[in-house]
Amino acid sequence: MNPLELTLGIMTAVGGFVDISQLVFSGQAGSKFGYVLISAFAISTIGIMVFSEMCGRVAAVAHQPVFSLMRHRLGLKLGLFTLIFSFLSTLITCAAEIGGLGMILNHLTGAPYAVMCIASTLVLMASMWVLPFKWIERTYGLLGLFMVVFVVAVVAIHPPWPKVIGGFVPQVPQGLSTKEMLSFSYFVVAILSAVMFPYEAYFYSSGGIEEGWGAKDLLTNRVTSIVGMGLGTLLSIAIVALAAQLFAPANVAPQIPGSVALQAAIPFGKPGLLLALLGMLFAVAGAAVETCMANAYSVSQFFGWEWGRHSKPWDAPRFTIAWIAVMLVALLIVLTGVEVMSLVEYSIVFSIVVLPLSYFPLMLLANDKSYMGQYANKWLAKGLGWLFFGFVTIAAIAAIPLYLLTSGG
Amino acid sequence: MDPFGHLKIVSQLLDVPIIDKDERSCGIVDDIELGGSAGKEMRVEALLVGPGAYKGRMPKWMYWLVRKIAGNRMVRVPAKAVVEIGSVVKLNVCGEDLGLHQAEDKAAGWIPRWGAM
Amino acid sequence: MRRALLPFLLIAACSKGPEADLQYISQARSLTAEWALVNEQAERGHLTAAYVDTMHQDLRQQLQSTAASLTNPRSAYGRQIQAVLREPDDAPPHELRAYASKLKQIEDSLESA
Repeated sequence: MNPLELTLGIMTAVGGFVDISQLVFSGQAGSKFGYVLISAFAISTIGIMVFSEMCGRVAAVAHQPVFSLMRHRLGLKLGLFTLIFSFLSTLITCAAEIGGLGMILNHLTGAPYAVMCIASTLVLMASMWVLPFKWIERTYGLLGLFMVVFVVAVVAIHPPWPKVIGGFVPQVPQGLSTKEMLSFSYFVVAILSAVMFPYEAYFYSSGGIEEGWGAKDLLTNRVTSIVGMGLGTLLSIAIVALAAQLFAPANVAPQIPGSVALQAAIPFGKPGLLLALLGMLFAVAGAAVETCMANAYSVSQFFGWEWGRHSKPWDAPRFTIAWIAVMLVALLIVLTGVEVMSLVEYSIVFSIVVLPLSYFPLMLLANDKSYMGQYANKWLAKGLGWLFFGFVTIAAIAAIPLYLLTSGG
Repeated sequence: MDPFGHLKIVSQLLDVPIIDKDERSCGIVDDIELGGSAGKEMRVEALLVGPGAYKGRMPKWMYWLVRKIAGNRMVRVPAKAVVEIGSVVKLNVCGEDLGLHQAEDKAAGWIPRWGAM
Repeated sequence: MRRALLPFLLIAACSKGPEADLQYISQARSLTAEWALVNEQAERGHLTAAYVDTMHQDLRQQLQSTAASLTNPRSAYGRQIQAVLREPDDAPPHELRAYASKLKQIEDSLESA
């Protein structure tokens, strides 16, 4: 295990963890419910650690990405159904990220929102064309580390630390009305969805193949999944704590994603604001790239096309056309004028519904000794995997009713 | 050694990715052509690759949609071209010789060959 | 014919008025409070001009959209939201907070009703 590679991998995972959905829901969760939803982030992060580690292990041992193996496990019809729904949910998520990018650039530069959406899409596409896979992932992941300003801001505002730490304990706030209870439940489901987006599994497993992972990289996979994502979630938890401390007393439940940057401006002034906006910019840009590539991976792997950015774009032409098309369609969705917050809500709800279909075949594969040999799931991974599969299934069933009953929280 | 031998067609062969002798992706085993008759040994004659192979595997309305979007092209990969069956099916020939890269080569005509590191 | 229409009339009646507008009152309250926070931080020199201008544009646009979604725009809360919209971009934070507090009071009384 190369220490430099491992450190870079962890830092990339940290900087690349947060996306526009987490920014929005962290801010609202803290302002509406204080510190109690910190536990939802913490528990969901354990879930994504478990499934990411499994995805990476399957990729490293079977040398096949999750979606190829998923079609084999689910068969053509159910596999096609999963592909279509996960494609649509990831496409909406990509559109939300592009809209978020446009919004952040608008706040940074003052240039018109639509122009910034188009410009940022072109820059993303250029970077995906020019850079090989490792550098695409590292560039956005490492630059996303500007988000650390939120963690520093939490320390600077001296929050009630016993309450922050108490937030890690799962609890339901006392004295909630029925409406507030439904809203709380919706937030739990939304946070689970935002942290455990299906595209993350597809991107992570395909990334493992892109980087040529083998059995020798299993420890790297485990450390990156656990440490990288564990540290990454601290960024979201910092935003929750900041919102509880700064927004809730001011009656602010952020309706505009750009309001989140105020959390770093309040203690640090302009430098804090700029660092926060830059961190948000690169984190969201990284998420836009990941969602776009995850869709191109899924389609290419399902139909057995050449795929990957470890080779040149012209060596995997249908894959290249796929990611270009996904980016452009996502941009078109944004340019229809649908609000970023609406896109975030739709992507959350759509994704949680697809999540059980995405993780079920992964569980079967990772448990299968004929594929995985000695690297099949042991009791801990099996137990945690099925536990979180249960959670996401319950959340998937509850998501749409809760969304409708609470008007999206 | 016969890569087919005794195998479970659905769990070990159907929907498995195919790669050729140059390690290029050549699609997925979309359907299987079987030979033999009642009372005689059943053998895999060929692997069928392409949207045209979905016909027997989905309802008519679904296949109609697939045909509208992706066409009904199908390539027949004879069993003798298969050298190994595992998490992928490996061939002992180039995919091009069997017509498996037609769509990929057509798409390549649209991709400029510059700028990438 | 009237009996057949009755369930639909009842549903239509329930989908109007304060209950249906509660989510918009909540949004307007938050948007007004965000506006106050932006102006307060701008007064302290904590924000860039581009950020302040674009936040003002977005907040105003969202408030207008919220006001347009009200089923009862002539209500007390509807008039409050219109009053907020009449404020200049650089309105004093304490004035904006006063509007946000009033909207919060209306929101709380509707939730407890």
